[in-house]
Amino acid sequence: MSQYLCHDFKTPRTDMSRRLPGSMRVVPIFFYAVALATAFFVFNDMRALQQAEQDRLAAIARKDEYIAAKTTLDSEKTTIDAELFRAEAVAKWVEGTRVLQPITVAIARAVPLETNITELNLERSADLPAQVSMLVRLNNSTLAEVAKIESSVNRLHYRSFSPSQAKQGDLIEFRSMLVWQEH
Amino acid sequence: MNGKKLACVVLMIFIGIATYAGQIVHQKAAAKRTEAETAESDANAAKSELEIAETRTTKLRYDSDELRRFLTAWTPHIDRVQTQSEVEESILASLRNASMLILSQKFEVRDNRSTPVIPKIVRASLVLEDDYAKTLNWVGELERRLPLARMMNCRITGGENGRQVHAEITLEIPLINLLAEMPVVASATTKKPSA
Repeated sequence: MSQYLCHDFKTPRTDMSRRLPGSMRVVPIFFYAVALATAFFVFNDMRALQQAEQDRLAAIARKDEYIAAKTTLDSEKTTIDAELFRAEAVAKWVEGTRVLQPITVAIARAVPLETNITELNLERSADLPAQVSMLVRLNNSTLAEVAKIESSVNRLHYRSFSPSQAKQGDLIEFRSMLVWQEH
Repeated sequence: MNGKKLACVVLMIFIGIATYAGQIVHQKAAAKRTEAETAESDANAAKSELEIAETRTTKLRYDSDELRRFLTAWTPHIDRVQTQSEVEESILASLRNASMLILSQKFEVRDNRSTPVIPKIVRASLVLEDDYAKTLNWVGELERRLPLARMMNCRITGGENGRQVHAEITLEIPLINLLAEMPVVASATTKKPSA
């Protein structure tokens, strides 16, 4: 039994703690609110974290795939470049391999039977192999034969550059630089 | 401090811990999202590079098609003459087939430094004397048989009698290496000589 009278409301009771101040009363409410908010945000963040990790891994996988495909293409490009390099070198060489036999035949056919070709010299330029230096020495001929020779060579798609002719008695010397002309 | 106040303080500590933990998780999520965005942007950049490489390679494939077909067409001729002895054999066989009279023959190999694709060139110097038509036919046959041969000099003069001609012919035949690699381009950062 308490030693205080139950109906005595005025005497301060010493066996009870004091009431909390007003500001402290919101602490439990605040605690629940924070607990709920934290649970909500942590749940959302954890989901976002997992999603972001999945997105990151997927992006890395895609990037690796693209890099692998690009490496294949780069390798193909290197192969094509090397092939082109070889092809260009061969093409450059082949450009200077145009046959000379048709020129000799054309010249021989251009002159009449009574004219002698004492010398026919075709010399390919070492620096510009597409150019051929031509020298024809004709005996018992006229300048008309020179024109025929030039025209027959032109028909073979060779253009005659800086032609020169020297006549000494029956001997005619015809020099010219032949350059192949594309159609 | 009474028990109620102590309980309040404990609750406030819990509130602080929960808030801190929430923030940590949020920061981690944000950092992970940033990482994912970075990875995504890297993937997009790689995709763009791939598309550029695809376009470039397709264009190169298209542009180089004719030249590559040219090389493919010439490859059998190139493979046929790969050594000096094969060149000699080919020329001498054509001379034998045409029964040409050979006054002199000389074969020499020269190094070619202009391109690694043609490291060596065989130079054949021939002096022949035979019938006019036969000689010209042989020249044509030789140029047909060795389409890579470059006739550097062809000097035809009169022979011993009216029907014969004296021919001095110089040919260059390349020994092509189709496995040659492209030379590495010299670095642009070469040191300039000091003044």
